[in-house]
Amino acid sequence: MKKRLAAAPALLLIVVALWEIVATFHAAHAVPDDDAWARAARALRETYKPGELIVFAPKWVDPVGRMHAGDLIPLDMAARMDAAKYGSIWELAIRGAHAPEVDGLTAQTSTDYDGVTLRHYVRTPAIVVDDALAHEPKSDGARPTLELAEVGFAPHRCWQIVPPAHGKVAITIPMTLGTKLVGYVGLADVFKRRDIRTPAELEVHAGAASVDVSAGVDDGWVRFELATTPGPADVTFVARAVSPDRLICFAAEARQ
Amino acid sequence: MKSLKPKWIGLALAIATTLAVLVLQRDVGIARDETVYMSAGARYAEWWTGLAKLEHGFDGKLIDATFGGAMGGGGNPEHPPLIKLASGLSHRWFHDKLPILDELTAYRLPSAVLHGVLAWLIFAFVLELWGLAEAILAVGCLVMLPRALFHAGLDCFDAPIMTLWFATIVAYWRCLDGRKWPWQVGVAWGLALATKHTALLLPFAIAIHYGVLAWRQKNLWFSWRVAVGMAVLGPLTLFVLWPWLWLDPVGHVKAWLTFHMTHVNYNFEYLGQNWNAPRFPWHVAIVTTVFTVPTATLAAAAVGAGVWISKWREHRDRAPVLLLALSAAAAIGPFFLGSTPIFGAEKHWMAVLPTICIAAGVGGIWAARRAIAVIGRVPERVGLAVVGGAIVLAGLSEVVVSHPYALTWYSALAGGAPGGADHGMNRQFWGVAAKGVLPELERHPPGPVYSHDASPAWGWYQRLGDLTKGYPDAGGEGAGIAASKYALVIHELHFNRHDYMVWKAYNTVQPRFVLRAAGVPIVSLYVRP
Repeated sequence: MKKRLAAAPALLLIVVALWEIVATFHAAHAVPDDDAWARAARALRETYKPGELIVFAPKWVDPVGRMHAGDLIPLDMAARMDAAKYGSIWELAIRGAHAPEVDGLTAQTSTDYDGVTLRHYVRTPAIVVDDALAHEPKSDGARPTLELAEVGFAPHRCWQIVPPAHGKVAITIPMTLGTKLVGYVGLADVFKRRDIRTPAELEVHAGAASVDVSAGVDDGWVRFELATTPGPADVTFVARAVSPDRLICFAAEARQ
Repeated sequence: MKSLKPKWIGLALAIATTLAVLVLQRDVGIARDETVYMSAGARYAEWWTGLAKLEHGFDGKLIDATFGGAMGGGGNPEHPPLIKLASGLSHRWFHDKLPILDELTAYRLPSAVLHGVLAWLIFAFVLELWGLAEAILAVGCLVMLPRALFHAGLDCFDAPIMTLWFATIVAYWRCLDGRKWPWQVGVAWGLALATKHTALLLPFAIAIHYGVLAWRQKNLWFSWRVAVGMAVLGPLTLFVLWPWLWLDPVGHVKAWLTFHMTHVNYNFEYLGQNWNAPRFPWHVAIVTTVFTVPTATLAAAAVGAGVWISKWREHRDRAPVLLLALSAAAAIGPFFLGSTPIFGAEKHWMAVLPTICIAAGVGGIWAARRAIAVIGRVPERVGLAVVGGAIVLAGLSEVVVSHPYALTWYSALAGGAPGGADHGMNRQFWGVAAKGVLPELERHPPGPVYSHDASPAWGWYQRLGDLTKGYPDAGGEGAGIAASKYALVIHELHFNRHDYMVWKAYNTVQPRFVLRAAGVPIVSLYVRP
């Protein structure tokens, strides 16, 4: 027995090597090809209705998904604030992955096309009463610009403002409020986030309600929410930064 | 004749290694940094050739114009000159004068040759200490390292410093034999210093090793000539090879090192997070090494480490195993600190690889010999070939799937390139993958191209015939995208912003083509609608 055990290291190395050879070639062909994606995209097109959200999983396969179904995805949808307003979500996924947009949801349908799984989710969407991006803002300093910015390595349409160092800018947007104001703030541009390490602050005032949000360089797209009284109101966003050239991006929706 | 045979085997392995690098590099795109080094190398070669032909003297202005200037400028003073000079001379000799190589291969030749030299050094070192089979397997493991093979095919410093680092280790070890003039270690270290600043870490390994031997011998001065040889000839070799230092030795050394001590932190993805500022995770070097060295090689190296530990009394006179361990520790140690930039990942601690490969050679053959002894009926050569061959074949399978996008590749343990992407490991860098999109681009009508991270290489691709002239570089990101008819986006996490810039300019999120490595997106090609 002891003698046989002496052969174990060699046997183990041979087994590891054989496993590696098989696993290497398997992994290299484990991702569905364009034919599979084309079939899944064709199936999607048969039932997809404009305005439904399309997402891909895992995140790294996003370019391939967009190549096959990107014509169905308007810029505003790709650069959405969040997914809450979409009641119908199509997910094209590989390798058993799920997009964060469908967390907690159960697929109504799920069909596999040679490794690309097309799933359909239905849920009650958030009712958006108004969108801060749809109105011309007033500012007591620098004017915000409407951007499609990279925040937290994701695309977001947002108002982008650059306050002076150690200063602030107040931006007022006339909105029709619902029962809550949901918004996000973050720091745009990975290179600015690398070179300028200080956080930014956003103060949001909607009627009597207000909230202070801090967005640091690694925080990504930070959510905030205020309970609001339905009706027209000026919503004021006060952006603060310690450092110059801090690109602060924010978006907000009034929801029921 | 009989004693010559192993040397011929070593030589054959070294030549095969160089040839493998030269053949494989033809499919590899041009790295952003290579364009700088090739241009600088051509100028360095011209200066040295002019000096040799007495066309000019030691004019300070000419030296500064050729080797100096601002950090980040065309003189590339932020990196020492040896490999650039070698590539410039290679280009001059093997492309311009004797046109036997294409332009890019000529520039890359020195790095490929040095990889062969590394194979030879490992072979000779292991042959002397452990035996022929161990030496062959160690070299086999080295050649089948996909990332090292990739880097050896570039006109950069990362593979060459691995060679010259190990050359210094071997030279030091040999110089401990009591020779009267141990100049070799000093010259080897000087060549390493003239290759890359990481050579400055070598004295840590060597000093500790020397200290342990001195302690054992109870004589601090037991081999003082080695220390003096290194301390004198190392810096002197660097000085002689780097004319820029002639102008202001202290000031320019300070500028060189300050550049690296205060180097900007490039963006680098690791475990799903973009890192561009310290503190970096302490485990980057471990995880990345485990994911980028073939698993069978790692397993054999683990066995080899066990063998070394169990036989720690062997070779105690000059303690080569301790030296190999210290060499590895010096190469990889700084990356545990959390403050050393992690961009480039394993290419910056590649000097750890000779130790891993030697351990794998020792471990694999030890395991094979034990099995042969038990089984009995198997001829030794067959047994060694089965075990060693399995380990090398496993590495070969990794090389096959990694080529030519080895920076996107991860080992079977990580799940290959897709597994690496799932784990959020860095996708690539240097814009090398752009070459793979060029044939697809040429299927479209001519027009200006936003070439993204491949911009520095764009002119080279056109010059080398990889891309016809009808697809000029449209320029930098803002104006370039606006002026472009086509846009490339090279996929790295921090480059997502380039997708979004193109979406906005082209009013579509749909790329026309996505280049993939084992199914993992590496470059998107957008066509303006």
